Amino acid sequence: MTKVEAIIQNSKLDAVKTALHEVGVEGMTVLEVRGHGRQKGHTEVYRGREYSVDLIPKTKLEMVLPDAIVEKAVQAILAAARTGKIGDGKIFLTRVDEAIRIRNDERGEGAL
Amino acid sequence: MTNAAKVRCKNSRHVGEDEARRDASGKHLNGSCDSSPPHMWPAPGEYEFTFMTAASSLISELRGSLNEESARIQREFAASGDGRTAVAQRTELIEGILQRLWLDLISPEADKPRNFALVATGGFGRGWLFPYSDIDLLFLFSDRGNEQAFKDPVRRFSQELWDLRLKLSPATRTLAECERYDPNNTEFTISLLDCRYLAGDRDLFARLHDKVIPKLVEREAGPLLQGLAEVTRERHGKFGQTVYHLEPNLKETPGGLRDYNVACWLALISAMDKLHDWPDASSLRAPVRRQLDAALEFLMSARCFLHFRHGRDDNALSWEAQDEAAARRIGVTDSSELSAADWMRIYFGHARAVQRTVEQLLEEIPEAWSSLYRQFQSWRSRLSTPDFSVVDGLIFLQQPSAMQDPEILLRLFHFMAHHGLKLSTTTEYRIEQALPALASHPPRGAELWLYLQETLLQPHAADALRAMHSLRLLTLLLPELKAIDSLVVRDFYHRFTVDEHSFLAIESLHRLRESQSEWDKRYAELLGELEDPELLYLALLLHDTGKGVPGGNHVEGSLDIAGRCLDRLDADPSERAAVLFLIGNHLELSAALRRDIFNPETVAAFAEKVGTPERLKMLCLMTYADIKAVNPEALTPWKAENVWQLYISAANYLNRSADQRVHADVHDDKFARFRSLASVTSNKFRSFVEGFPQRYLRVHSAEEVMRHLEMADQVADDPVQIDLKRGRHWYDLTLVTRDRPFLFATLTGVLAAWGMNIVKANAFSNEAGTVVDTIHFTDRFRTLELNLSEWARFKRSITEVLLGEADLERMLRDRQRSEKSIATKVKVETRIEFDDACSSSSTLVQVIAQDRPRLLHRIASCVSQQECNIEIALIDTEGQMAIDAFYLTLKGAKLTPQHCKQVEKALLEELRGE
Repeated sequence: MTKVEAIIQNSKLDAVKTALHEVGVEGMTVLEVRGHGRQKGHTEVYRGREYSVDLIPKTKLEMVLPDAIVEKAVQAILAAARTGKIGDGKIFLTRVDEAIRIRNDERGEGAL
Repeated sequence: MTNAAKVRCKNSRHVGEDEARRDASGKHLNGSCDSSPPHMWPAPGEYEFTFMTAASSLISELRGSLNEESARIQREFAASGDGRTAVAQRTELIEGILQRLWLDLISPEADKPRNFALVATGGFGRGWLFPYSDIDLLFLFSDRGNEQAFKDPVRRFSQELWDLRLKLSPATRTLAECERYDPNNTEFTISLLDCRYLAGDRDLFARLHDKVIPKLVEREAGPLLQGLAEVTRERHGKFGQTVYHLEPNLKETPGGLRDYNVACWLALISAMDKLHDWPDASSLRAPVRRQLDAALEFLMSARCFLHFRHGRDDNALSWEAQDEAAARRIGVTDSSELSAADWMRIYFGHARAVQRTVEQLLEEIPEAWSSLYRQFQSWRSRLSTPDFSVVDGLIFLQQPSAMQDPEILLRLFHFMAHHGLKLSTTTEYRIEQALPALASHPPRGAELWLYLQETLLQPHAADALRAMHSLRLLTLLLPELKAIDSLVVRDFYHRFTVDEHSFLAIESLHRLRESQSEWDKRYAELLGELEDPELLYLALLLHDTGKGVPGGNHVEGSLDIAGRCLDRLDADPSERAAVLFLIGNHLELSAALRRDIFNPETVAAFAEKVGTPERLKMLCLMTYADIKAVNPEALTPWKAENVWQLYISAANYLNRSADQRVHADVHDDKFARFRSLASVTSNKFRSFVEGFPQRYLRVHSAEEVMRHLEMADQVADDPVQIDLKRGRHWYDLTLVTRDRPFLFATLTGVLAAWGMNIVKANAFSNEAGTVVDTIHFTDRFRTLELNLSEWARFKRSITEVLLGEADLERMLRDRQRSEKSIATKVKVETRIEFDDACSSSSTLVQVIAQDRPRLLHRIASCVSQQECNIEIALIDTEGQMAIDAFYLTLKGAKLTPQHCKQVEKALLEELRGE
């Protein structure tokens, strides 16, 4: 089982969700996050005052998937979220030791 | 003996019990008996096994009857839906069990032993035992010694009850301990107020009930009431002070069972304090008690229903529970069809009644006031007017018969909204009496709109609206709100009913004024700049009315309903347009957040949709208020930051794109609103409109544009056309004339010479060279206010100066001499920015500086002296900061970089002095 974490542009959330559903991903967690990579922050001057955003608002998706569909899911995210410009985001994969369904104590890939 | 031994060996559980008893006491049963009277306990050794066998068979018998009886109670409730009976039956059942156990474990005689009594307290004492509630018991002793003596039997007693799966909430006290009030444990003392004898020493109980408690209350009534009030206020605070939760907790939410109890306790303590004894009858006034009885029936039935449904002490009325309760018509006597929303309305009606009683009692009982409140009381009485008197912070009518006049009612709520006071019970009663008469001839039209506007602008508007709503007055005046009355809408974000959500949104904006948070301060500034904030508040009041109408898109529904409301209020077209715009677009800003807000195209598209800075500000604040009122945590820093970023990007865009010119293409939608007022195909109209910036059409209503056209027409005969009006916040001056050098500088100079302070201004010109300047100003020295004749003189003065017939410089010098020069502390640094890219035909200059008299005149003169022509001027003021944007041309083209530098140098020098 693999955990897939993807940080993407806010505007790409709907497209990525649709793409993931199409490859069979049934569950995910969505978070509103702020952060930065190499994409520089943004400064807007309003009435002579500077409002700079060093931590840019982004959307983070987290999901734990059976190994069989991990690559498909990653491809789906890449296709839906990519614009080719700096600020597109990143995907991270980590191994997961166990997954448990709270309702009935089901374990392993069946719980995903 | 053999049988007993068999039992003991076969059933390991009993063996375990024996071990437990041993361990708990640290010694064998025999050993613990030493200090007790001999007739109570079995003789050492002899009784042990048969005692246990007898106990174990009693337990199984009790368990059997407990299960049977509980099932019977549940069946009967399922059939009848009568909570009160179910609760009484369970009380009896548990009492029986307790008494039997007492006889078995403590004493074979029910009213012995001496100096030890079993007392029911709290809910159990009241005779209300809900199916899965804890059982409140007090083990009462005469003194410490006895307490120690009975330690083991008490423990055993408790254990048996646990074994029976009965949840105990036990307390052990001596009589002396009961006499003391511990402010950190208000709950215990309050639970004593419901004490009831169960078993043991009657005399001891009598002492508690007849002597100790009245004396305690007499001595500690003040602190006790205060403690109770504080605990209650804290609990209310946790639930947002409102009954209108989408999934209320029947016990804890305001208006729930806990509040009902608080009302009874408050009344009881006050009565006891006066009588020095228990009162004979209920201490609540009869009509209040009747209303509360109905509420109690309903709440009890609902809570029993929840307990049976969940199989535990879970009092949360989830949506699924609401569905089921409505289907089973819990707490409802008639047999008509009931939807979940209807059932919830009934619930809210009862909850409101309970909450009002608690609130009133908290207000009326001086000891229950917080110390801060006490301070307010003294000065509040000075707020009385000829219509209303204020006593102890409550509003009374000076002339009760005045309620015949509907206007008094409207003034009353304005008064409430202004001062943040509550109505006395008598006043509420009178209002309720007056409602039927009012319903036949409700106030409407401009008069209603006027009062409504003024009320909405007051700092405590939301509370006044809530009061009006709970008295059914608001829906009488604005029937459009009936659709969302106590409406539960199911979504995962909203916490409150739709009507409460709308009131809360209005409250969020008013609260901005006092907020210290950095985010709130930014939004508060925007609020202060609005020209017509009442339109924003009205839009918030109506924005979700569409949710009460079936159909997917509530925005459409809300627009429809709001349109009707605005008709009823006789709102004029520009007000109507603004309110409908806000309601129609109230989700737009949040929607835009889902796109890339740093992308210029997104910003441009959004800004174009909004159109003007004023509307942008209102939309931004509307979004802020809407999100804030969803639930307390909804406005996360992430959201607040995003909303603000989009706002400033859009605001900057609008400022920088003011120079897009209109071309009078008759088929264009933007001329649609003119069609009813004039023939848009006429040459006159087209040549007037051609060449104005788009901004001109957006900022001015159709009527205003037509008026400008009229004025432009007359310029041939009378070269300087002036309109002067008194607006709500400031004066409005409109000048229409032919463009010429230094025009704007001169105009602003005249105003400065008259001591006027320019707050906002727009200067536009069209292709034909006609200029329309609108200036909003305040009259610092109240010249116009105090002398009507000055109006005409002022207008003449402007004309004369513009025609070169008067000396502006001398006027300015005279003004300077007569005015004390105020040394303004420079808090705002002067900043000058040039933007060459935003317009194809002119250069944008933005000047930010400390606001002071004659500032605009000096800037405009300076710019004109540099030979620049002001094509467009957008002037705004934010507190001490002046924000002036000019689109300049030099000989009809953009400024060269050198010229920009020259202008900058000149401006900096000009603004450095003084």
